[in-house]
Amino acid sequence: MKRRNFLKSMAAAGMAATVSGGSLAIPGRSNAAGKVNFGEVKAVKVDVLSETSWFNNDILKKNMMDYGGAMTNQYTVPWDWDNAGGYAALITVTTMDGKEKKILLDSGWNTEWMDYIFQEKSNVAEMLKKGEIDTMVVSHFHLDHFWGIESTLKHKPDITIFAPNTYYPEDMALLKEKAHIKAKDKDGKEVAICANDHPHTGKLELCKPEGEKGDGIYQIMPGVAYKVFDVPILLRVRGEGVLYFNVKDKGIVTVTGCCHPGLLSIFSFARQNFDSFKPYGCYGGLHVSLFENWDPKFDDLIKGVKAFKIEKVACNHCTGWIWAEKASQEGIPIVKGTDKFKTYKKQSTVAKTSNVFLTNGDSIIF
Amino acid sequence: MPNTGQIVNKYSFTSGIVSFLCISAIVCVLWYVFMHADGVMKLYTPMYGFSLVAVMMASVILMVKVLDFYPFSPSSSEGGQRLARGLILTLVTLALTLVLVYGFFWGFIGKFGVAYFSPDSIVRSGGTGAEPFNARENASTAIIYFSTAFLWWSLVWDTGFVKWPWTDSTPGVRAWSKTCAILILSIITYVICFHPHVCFLFYPPQNKAGVEPWWSGFAGTGSAFFGLGIILCSLAWVVISDLLWEGFPWRFLCKGEEGCFARGLITITGCLALGLFTFVVLLKTMNVYWMEPFEGGQYTDAPYFRYLHTGEIAGFCVLAAFILKGYFNNWPNWTNSFVNATVRSLLAFVIAGVIYVFYYSPLSTLILGKVPGIAQPDDTPLVWTMLFLTVILVHTEFFRLWPMEPNKS
Repeated sequence: MKRRNFLKSMAAAGMAATVSGGSLAIPGRSNAAGKVNFGEVKAVKVDVLSETSWFNNDILKKNMMDYGGAMTNQYTVPWDWDNAGGYAALITVTTMDGKEKKILLDSGWNTEWMDYIFQEKSNVAEMLKKGEIDTMVVSHFHLDHFWGIESTLKHKPDITIFAPNTYYPEDMALLKEKAHIKAKDKDGKEVAICANDHPHTGKLELCKPEGEKGDGIYQIMPGVAYKVFDVPILLRVRGEGVLYFNVKDKGIVTVTGCCHPGLLSIFSFARQNFDSFKPYGCYGGLHVSLFENWDPKFDDLIKGVKAFKIEKVACNHCTGWIWAEKASQEGIPIVKGTDKFKTYKKQSTVAKTSNVFLTNGDSIIF
Repeated sequence: MPNTGQIVNKYSFTSGIVSFLCISAIVCVLWYVFMHADGVMKLYTPMYGFSLVAVMMASVILMVKVLDFYPFSPSSSEGGQRLARGLILTLVTLALTLVLVYGFFWGFIGKFGVAYFSPDSIVRSGGTGAEPFNARENASTAIIYFSTAFLWWSLVWDTGFVKWPWTDSTPGVRAWSKTCAILILSIITYVICFHPHVCFLFYPPQNKAGVEPWWSGFAGTGSAFFGLGIILCSLAWVVISDLLWEGFPWRFLCKGEEGCFARGLITITGCLALGLFTFVVLLKTMNVYWMEPFEGGQYTDAPYFRYLHTGEIAGFCVLAAFILKGYFNNWPNWTNSFVNATVRSLLAFVIAGVIYVFYYSPLSTLILGKVPGIAQPDDTPLVWTMLFLTVILVHTEFFRLWPMEPNKS
């Protein structure tokens, strides 16, 4: 083949590829459905029951490192029990007619720690027994949010639970089948890692990412929506549910367990799908520098939060103290916590005096 | 272009398919032993395992494309010889990988020069986040980036400059000279495209050692996945032009098969231009499907993921090209070379599409033990792709396709 012919053919093929590439208008998720109006609430209060899922980062990371890192299956790691804490929050919603409804978000990890939190450091246990808390939301099935489920179910086994439908068999066994799960350590010895002797007997709403009516959300009550994001997560977990509150005259507030889908991605979902969207605030773990490490993409998030104009950023848990400190220094409206966490019998080794976390015992009202 | 139409008749596609299936099975076993979340070694942490695979692939490429097998014989055709040669070269490459990771990067460069190449040095330096797990992941990230720069330069040099300017030198002189030249260029590429990212993996950022990522102002992220995406997209065209187009159009630029300066220069600029074009087209296509990404977004909303994903797609194309060349005799081999090149390229894109669908399908979840879904920050198909490529390279280049007949095309 002559050089000129070859080059001509190449040019023609390149042109054809360009033209066809330009018309690759594949209908995708960008074609958003109509906007959803899920009502309003007067106010939302979040009490931090426990945000210390573990107390020592180094021990947790060593457990991960020794048994396969971020992609390993959480049910195969003999986690250090003494390092386990848990994540849980009590949400009090004030409805438009002034009534209060309480929702428990997550149930922590170490049942001894969670019993201490529910019975000694709050009156959650009493509220569960009396039925004042009749609804629980499981954000996702990570160990530190879900493995302490017994601490809730022992007081109210028939509690209504909303959870992602992206569960694994072990998750359901722990919830409903009195499972006692063990993992093998390096010497081959079996170590008990989680258990629940109080099976769930109430309504279990396993929520699909598509939502109840195909609009992406489950309406828990007027002004409160639960949305499952089907995202792959470290430690072989899949999917996280996020709570949205539409607070009258303020805007959208998100409450998350770990916020694995990404803070701005969940606000982006609200922007695309919710009627009269206005960002207002957020509470929860934001899953940024959870191991107190850094990455240039954490700087991206600081710039992005500024662009989204979120007015109240209340964070803790897997957000990472260093991200919260840097975000605060750069002008993000980080809500400061108090020193109440120091009255708890255990504290995180990375807690700092800057109080950029809402820590155990703190509250916030949106 | 040479007419290779007669060779196709002698090629056994059945044995090619059987070989490919065997190689795929070997990759599955290796993945289970070394990477799988429920497997034996669980090295997919993810960066640690990624770095080992990247260096292993770089070592194979060093042996094959840079050293041209020096000091070993570049070819062997007898069955028994091929097996013995393959085993020896594989063992040498494995040893080289271990020496490079644990000796050169962790034990030498990281200990006596640039601390972030060694987990121990990071831990010893103390400060926030400097504990063994993070340290190993960060050191591995740096090693992966360096290996990427090395891979790009090795392959583009081999396709463009070929033996120039050491055409008349002895194999030994050429091997060492090429290695030094490629290393210098790799170091420059690494320093410009990746070092700023690695310096900002620490808190506070190491901004006296590296500038703030210079692309963050226009790329919407400080992550070096921006440069990684462009380099991998460009690498895909290097491989496609080398394997599927049989060196064209670059071969037009000088006589003979030994390369020249002009050919090298045009190959570099041409592949970079094609890579950049592909990078933009892929980003635009992703925008259609996932909408515009935004700064601070995560998963599919993240600019850094979009950039990485262009590289991941390019990786699938590279894998497809190697599969087509290695196990399907670079079909078709008709008389019109342009038609051959076009059909092969289209086939490679189709195969890459099939691999893409496989990687994100429940089947891959079952086989590779990954969590279903796309854009997980701790998962990149590049690791599996590179492992697959490494095994293919070992089989085709070291074992000369043993036990099947050597590829005659």
